[in-house]
Amino acid sequence: PADTRDAAQARVRSAPAPVTDVARLCVCDLLVAQCDANCCCDPDCSAEDFSLFTTCSIPVVVGDSQLCSQKAAVYSLDVEANPPERIFKLIDQVNPSIFCIHATNYEQALYLKSPEIPTAENFDELLDKFGGASFSAEPDSWNLDTDAQNSSEANETSRYEYGVPVQTEDAFLRLPSPVVSSWCSDANPAGFLVNQATKCIRSVSVEKCDSIQALSMLFYINSSILAVPKSSQMVNITVQSIVVQSVNGMRTLLSSSEALRLPMVLDELCINAVLGVNYHITHTDTGEIIEAAAAFVLGAISREALSIEQSFEISFTQENTQPVPLSGNPGYVVGLPVRAGFQPQGYPFPAAFLSNKHSQLTILHSTSTQDCLAAQGARAPVLFGYNMISGCKLRITAAMKCQPLAQTLLDVLKGQSFPEYVASFGNSQAQDVLDWVPITQLHISEQMISHALQSSCQIPVSLGIEVKWTKYGSLVNPQARIVNVTATITSTTLKQLPSGREKIIPITSSVIFTDISSPAEPSYKAWPTINIKLPFDFFYPFV
Amino acid sequence: SSQLSSLPLHILLYVNGVYYIFYFLATLAMIIYKSQVFSYPDDFLAPDLAVLFLMAILEVPRLYLGFKGNLTEAEAPLGLSLGLTVGSVLLCVYLLLWQSYVLWADVLLNAVLLAAYGLESGLKVTAIAAFVS
Repeated sequence: PADTRDAAQARVRSAPAPVTDVARLCVCDLLVAQCDANCCCDPDCSAEDFSLFTTCSIPVVVGDSQLCSQKAAVYSLDVEANPPERIFKLIDQVNPSIFCIHATNYEQALYLKSPEIPTAENFDELLDKFGGASFSAEPDSWNLDTDAQNSSEANETSRYEYGVPVQTEDAFLRLPSPVVSSWCSDANPAGFLVNQATKCIRSVSVEKCDSIQALSMLFYINSSILAVPKSSQMVNITVQSIVVQSVNGMRTLLSSSEALRLPMVLDELCINAVLGVNYHITHTDTGEIIEAAAAFVLGAISREALSIEQSFEISFTQENTQPVPLSGNPGYVVGLPVRAGFQPQGYPFPAAFLSNKHSQLTILHSTSTQDCLAAQGARAPVLFGYNMISGCKLRITAAMKCQPLAQTLLDVLKGQSFPEYVASFGNSQAQDVLDWVPITQLHISEQMISHALQSSCQIPVSLGIEVKWTKYGSLVNPQARIVNVTATITSTTLKQLPSGREKIIPITSSVIFTDISSPAEPSYKAWPTINIKLPFDFFYPFV
Repeated sequence: SSQLSSLPLHILLYVNGVYYIFYFLATLAMIIYKSQVFSYPDDFLAPDLAVLFLMAILEVPRLYLGFKGNLTEAEAPLGLSLGLTVGSVLLCVYLLLWQSYVLWADVLLNAVLLAAYGLESGLKVTAIAAFVS
């Protein structure tokens, strides 16, 4: 008790002293050297300003209300007086609670904690944590924890999940990428199932060409990937292909990619320097990596070059599947192409839809020449949510025949393989027949009422695709779902031209996306019912 | 011979014992409340808790010696109890004035305890004087 009493006497007993004087504290005083409206505590306001106020926005200024007794500044407007004047009173506010703070002996009791001041002892630790360009919340070392993990825990985390860094023998699979500036940082891990493509700049010098690790193929393939996190099953990274880029930019694919090519200096150039790596990882549907391959682009660095741009890409494919780019999961994402396909065999045994890049929904792509017949085949994919309109001009001469012209224009408008079905969701699988919406084809012909000749020539002049979509799913995260697609071909009659004359007709095609979602209705859970049942022998002696 | 043991002292010691149990539990609960509601770092919490527990440890022999000395009319245990009372008074003054957070309830409880100690000490001195003479 002796040292406690000494330590206690060393502390000064004090009522919590107000560090800020409530008479001078004003929260609504925001403008410097100007009077704030309705701010009764503003020192910049004069008596004339106060007479114009309607109310005091801050009536009371107090410190911490947990103190037993404290000063409070009360501001009010006396509207009875003419002109209205401000009343300022300094009163003692008493907290009636029995647990109010009577006194504190601890100076920082009522204030926020101040940050750590660097001293000689903790400077190194603070520099490690906060000295870099970015603060990381991750542990400093990515080493495998072979201790402290019991087997049951290892079984639960025995597969990769989306976004988890892909682990290798020593650390993790690196995908160098620009972090704060465009310089490459090697500390960026590749996340499982996260397809990424990055480009960054690395500083090089031809003299140290073979000593810079990041320029050699070995740096990217020497550590094997762990098949599942924290296991000992390794998957070697194989070299899939090597493309050599010459100094003038021409790329050649090497026929045999067995030999490892390391950078070396060859008459003032550094050859076999890695300019790009493309990783392809194959995984099972249970989150296990079974294969890894890397495709390299090697190039030469000239003596004057101080930096080169490297590009890296990683893509994940599930085993035994063909990778199909999704346009959303499950709802369509604005800007991604609308997926479409054909039904190869019709009724009554519809087979799976064919959906590949070549059977996208496309519309005519306007070219600079604007001539329909010259630039055939230029198509642009229809991107979800983007209304598009395009067109070209058709020069009709007297010598053109009707039927071939109509067929050509139909090809120009619809393209070579106009699909029959459009995917309802961004991730519709080809085998789910109900997830595909048929394209309704309409034909409108603008016929002049006065000319009722049936044998006149009809040529298609415009294609309008209207895609009706709705919001589907929950209120907070609605998914876009395509409900209806209508392709309308409008034809017009082509009058026979006198010979030698020419006519120019505009041909247009457009895509419009219409939101037909019905207003959302929140649904509520049913009230829970009280289910009371008496036991069957409740009325025992009587029943 | 007339009885020299002091009845008021006995009653006061008994009431003191009961009140002290309530005081200890209330002060401990309030320290726990303060550590949750206010910012109470460990190096300020430890001395306050140590003083409270030390006082509780001192109270038991103090009350026992007081009872025994009064009932056996012996001045030695009563004198020892008086000495321990001085220690308890100092610890009580610490909790009244030098705790990290002194709430109004703390002031009330400690003031009542100090009054009880003061009255007790007076009665003990009177009893010792009666036993010696």
